[in-house]
Amino acid sequence: MVPYPGEPDDANDGAPLDPAQSAALIAEQRARWAAATGVDARLLFGVWGGACLLGFGAEYSVATDPPLLGWPGWVAGVVFAGLLATAMVINIVHIAVRTAGVRGVSANAGAMYGWAWFGSFAGIGALSFGLARAGASPDVTKLVMTTAPLLIVGALNMAGAAIWQDRTQFALGAWILIVTTIGAIVGAPHMLAVLSLAGGGGLLVGALADAIRVRRAVAWASDAPGRAAV
Amino acid sequence: MAASPSEPLNPLIHTQARLRIMTTLTALPEGDRLAFGRLQALLDATPGNLSTHLRKLENAGYVAVTKGHLGRVPTTHIEATRAGRRAFEDYTEQLRALLTPPTGVAGPTKEKP
Repeated sequence: MVPYPGEPDDANDGAPLDPAQSAALIAEQRARWAAATGVDARLLFGVWGGACLLGFGAEYSVATDPPLLGWPGWVAGVVFAGLLATAMVINIVHIAVRTAGVRGVSANAGAMYGWAWFGSFAGIGALSFGLARAGASPDVTKLVMTTAPLLIVGALNMAGAAIWQDRTQFALGAWILIVTTIGAIVGAPHMLAVLSLAGGGGLLVGALADAIRVRRAVAWASDAPGRAAV
Repeated sequence: MAASPSEPLNPLIHTQARLRIMTTLTALPEGDRLAFGRLQALLDATPGNLSTHLRKLENAGYVAVTKGHLGRVPTTHIEATRAGRRAFEDYTEQLRALLTPPTGVAGPTKEKP
């Protein structure tokens, strides 16, 4: 009886393995796969947390009467836009690098998900145009244009979590949604403080929590080599 | 096929190179393919060596190779088939049986002081 098809033979096969070596090899390769392709929650939470904390903080610093800081409003606006744009670029590049070379079912889902982001933010751009044409006051425009994009960010992250079965991403989306809802009720100008401290600060706490989780997982796996494999 | 410690480990998987290939490909969700270049980078393998092992796994029905084009550049994507995933699962199950003492005490690496 030949239990397995094909013909395992030649010199390419290398030295024979024992079961413990096999288990260690599987653990090592799985760790390598996870490190190379997994989305790093520490990075994304950290980047978005920092951008929200400082960006909304900058906006808040000139929104109160009298302003907390003496710098011109347009500088605060540039700082805010620059920080959020940087976070978005880092986010997109990170995902693109991690998922490079993968095709098929989940890659198609990822492409559709990407289009959902693109389409909804194009819609936000149109909304700002529509508000201006409808004669919305600066206060109304500011309220809508601050909260609407964040509601989309929250909702799309929760939807992404449903696609990839990722609780971390669900927590990220849910937190953004909750903080934005509170901010919308609080209203300008203090909603900016809520978004900065609770939104940005909360994401930074999330980054820290994930860093601790990763460190514990690494310690657990290296405590007994091969344990994580089988 | 049920895993049993008394049977030999599947020789098609039980080599350094092919074990690492199957570990990597089964880490992808079912239905996803990986580009040859990315697989090569994740394994530190030479193209020739990787091709040899992939052909062996393909002949056994454990992996499927899809050739295509991206513009004018030929591309190769590899995925673990259902049979391949099954064989890898049997292999790891058998390993677990081999590494767990029959007395049922906690794993071989943990010792109580």
